[in-house]
Amino acid sequence: MARRVLTPGQRRVSVGGVFADILILLWFVFALFPILWMFLLSLKNDTDQTSTYFSFSPTARNYRTVLTHKGEVLTSVNFETAIWHSVLACAGATLLSLLVGIPAAYAAGKWKFRGSDDLMFQMLSFRFAPELMVIVPLFVIFHYIHLFDTELGLIWVLQLVTLPLVVWILRSYFQDLAPELEQAALLDGYSRIRAFFKVALPLVRPGIAASALLAFIFAWNNYIFPLILTDSNATTVTVAVTKYLGGGGQAYYNLTAAAALIGVLPPLVLALSIQRYLVRGLSFGAVKA
Amino acid sequence: MSSVTEVSADKGKGTSAGGPGSEDRVPAWRRRARPYLLSIPALVVIVGILFPFVSGVYYTILDYSAGATHVHLVWFDNYQTVLSDSALWSSVRVTVEYAVIATAIETVLGVGVALLLNRSTLIGRIFEKVLILPLMIAPVIAATVWKLMFDSNFGILNHVLGLGHSFSWLGKNNALYSCILVDVWIYTPFVAILVLAGIRSLPKEPFEASDVDGANWLYMFRRLMLPMMWPYILVAVIFRLMDCLKIFDIIYVLTTGGPGTVTTTLQINAFEDSITHFNYSRGSTYMFLLWIIVFIVARFLVSLLSKAQRRAAGAEV
Amino acid sequence: MASLQLQDVHKSYGKHPALKGIDLDVADGEFFVILGPSGAGKTTTLKSVAGLQEIDTGSVRIDGVEMDGIEPYRRNVAMAFESYALYPQDTVFDNLASPLKSGRTGTYSKEQQRERIDMVTTTLGINQLLERFPRELSNGQRQRVALGRVLVRPAGIYLLDEPLSHLDAKLRAAMRAELKSLGSVAQTTSLYVTHDYQEALALGDKIAILRAGRVIQVGPPAEVWREPASTFIARALGQPEINLLPAVVEDGTIRAAGGHVSCPAPAGLHLSPGQHLIIGVRPREIALGPAPPDQGDRLTCAGMVRLSEVLGRDVELSVTVGEEDLIIVTDRANAPAEGERVTFQIPLAHSLVFDATRDAALEAAAAGAPDAQTSDGARVPATSLLGPLVAAEQRI
Repeated sequence: MARRVLTPGQRRVSVGGVFADILILLWFVFALFPILWMFLLSLKNDTDQTSTYFSFSPTARNYRTVLTHKGEVLTSVNFETAIWHSVLACAGATLLSLLVGIPAAYAAGKWKFRGSDDLMFQMLSFRFAPELMVIVPLFVIFHYIHLFDTELGLIWVLQLVTLPLVVWILRSYFQDLAPELEQAALLDGYSRIRAFFKVALPLVRPGIAASALLAFIFAWNNYIFPLILTDSNATTVTVAVTKYLGGGGQAYYNLTAAAALIGVLPPLVLALSIQRYLVRGLSFGAVKA
Repeated sequence: MSSVTEVSADKGKGTSAGGPGSEDRVPAWRRRARPYLLSIPALVVIVGILFPFVSGVYYTILDYSAGATHVHLVWFDNYQTVLSDSALWSSVRVTVEYAVIATAIETVLGVGVALLLNRSTLIGRIFEKVLILPLMIAPVIAATVWKLMFDSNFGILNHVLGLGHSFSWLGKNNALYSCILVDVWIYTPFVAILVLAGIRSLPKEPFEASDVDGANWLYMFRRLMLPMMWPYILVAVIFRLMDCLKIFDIIYVLTTGGPGTVTTTLQINAFEDSITHFNYSRGSTYMFLLWIIVFIVARFLVSLLSKAQRRAAGAEV
Repeated sequence: MASLQLQDVHKSYGKHPALKGIDLDVADGEFFVILGPSGAGKTTTLKSVAGLQEIDTGSVRIDGVEMDGIEPYRRNVAMAFESYALYPQDTVFDNLASPLKSGRTGTYSKEQQRERIDMVTTTLGINQLLERFPRELSNGQRQRVALGRVLVRPAGIYLLDEPLSHLDAKLRAAMRAELKSLGSVAQTTSLYVTHDYQEALALGDKIAILRAGRVIQVGPPAEVWREPASTFIARALGQPEINLLPAVVEDGTIRAAGGHVSCPAPAGLHLSPGQHLIIGVRPREIALGPAPPDQGDRLTCAGMVRLSEVLGRDVELSVTVGEEDLIIVTDRANAPAEGERVTFQIPLAHSLVFDATRDAALEAAAAGAPDAQTSDGARVPATSLLGPLVAAEQRI
């Protein structure tokens, strides 16, 4: 096993190799089983939902229930609008972060200026700050200025998630850009702004795409902000999913599973589409792979 | 004679022969101001987030709660109450226990999975594609699914593992470890893909050389691979540790801090105080204390991170 | 076209000074070469002219106009970067069209653009590459595209940073011969940076030699070759390197190599007894065999061939004379064998004399020793051993 780990070209059949294959299989059974089971559960009907059988007659009815008015009647969760809220809030938060983050990341990547490190650290400390520190005052403030349970309020607070991500990832991309490229454009006769749009922006496009999608994913997956700062008018998918478990009322496990599956689909599809840039994004640009 | 003149004339600047006029000059202060101007939009947003943060700090010296008709300045009363409250120390202990155990397991497993996937066998290549699935699922949804699986009566885990109905995953003795298990399920891929990227960027020569020298696997791993992978592992550990310290959603869904207080972490505790019981000041005090811990640890770890970043960048070349 | 003056230009990167007071005066239409080792500040000088970096103090004037605060795109200069700086997302054609489309280098119709690009690519032999992307090119091809992006447009000044360094030897020689005769280059003031002395000597109307952020000599190629201001410059020009022999003045003669090389001290140089000198003789200027008796301007010496190295048509001999080794280049036909004793002749008119003390001071200054500042008057003179050069007299 040892040699094989270190020299990927070699592929001897050995006891170690088989052992390694078994280990990796075990890991993926562990990793994929919950997802598989969630899928199975989402296909079970109401009488089967508390069973532990793997064989049953599958039905797509749960998905229909979740996505239509019927689900709302049963559980008072309007999942369809929750999806819409999530899309709006996350896209809005991502766009805002890109809008304000790209210039800042460009400045921090291109120049070493007084305060740039402080600014970057401030961003990172947002990433690591306990959310409630901000949520509790916002909870009060939002009630005063009528932003509680609104898309706008959610977009504002989601900056805590999306902005540090966008700025840190893009800074690492701008840092990688050879300064000569933009200088060449300046000497070709382009003004600084035109040079930025002609050279810098197209070259960091993968970074922009990666950071935007990751920002969207993390905003989508966020739970604590919408849990506390929204009610029915701006509920997001993550909050809605947990409501099918019925706090006190009837719990619908099959509906929960169906909603969960719908809820994880957008981030999964997006993540698979940027897999190449994922490592760099997840590490905030620290690991450039 | 000079084309400088021509070009200026083209632009209709009306400069006399001899090139750019004074209106074309950018004074030094304006050049210096460029990075700041570009940062202004981001700064505005940061202030928008800093403002509630500062208000939160202010709350810690008030007796502010939803029921209170008058809010008073109580200075350090909240700190005194909180610091002498056994609930704080219990939640600090739970938080640290959770963070350290989860991070340790995830690091070891993550490195292991990365090493196994690096063998580039068919199985490895297929699984690498789906490695990140748990990571991209919203933690709260993952926790919800696990909660269904943990159920002692109809949960699939007891059924599959043959534990009957007796084993209580979320009972007093197991709850914290079950929460950690879910954390491990979600975040081990995070460590694994970072470390895998690290391994892939390592130079091949030293390994071939020591392979020729007949060094054994453990020696090669410890003396060659680990030192070179260290920056990548460090990045992963930093992110995991910081995230674990403020863990909320997994625990909130699985146990809401219970049974009793065995899974009540600092952020869960603050949530109960400020949101459930509307005692904003006490909740904020909890959070401010957590923030101080996180801030100090972050300062330290970020300096490590930038060192690791430089070393990682060096290791790539 | 434009003239260019740099006055006392200083530039530091953090604590590292890159330029320590550069003075240059480039006349309208001149082909001006900056020669120097890496790290001397050549590229920094070019970027200062282009306005791509702010200078700390001093002034850059183009056509007499102070450039402080003028943005690069208003300076009407074009630059070929050593790293090419081709836009990776654009084809070769679009790279070349970029300066023509900006609107600041003149207005061109699509037709005119195509015409100009066609002319340049034909000259540079990159016609067939127009549709390729930079990543699909060899380094040599990239370099020619980078050069093309400069030549395709009119400009007051062309700034060329090692534009031939990545070409293969053959192409490089061909391009060197051709570069100066290219229409646009011939008409445009050019600042050409290189570390290759052959390029400098072949191309430059004038050469400035840069060392550690200072200009240490400026002059036409012939002058720099004939009268290098220090042993550093003498060593930088010529391959193999110039022979440098420590010498001392005794009883009206200059003695080097333990007395094996000696000649009367020329009266015109006003040498004082006991003065330490360095004699420089270029390997290709030493001829084998004794000097004819009637030729008083040649010094006959003898030594033993320690090493003989065949380099194609030529042979490089290391000849031991006294304690010193002299390099002599001769043709292969009459080359002596190793261990053989030979006589050879040093042409006094082509030998250089340096004042050893002042040269050492210059070396120390270049190495950055703070107390080793040399004033301009302390320049080490270089002149021939024959002496009666009027200019040399004044300088020693």
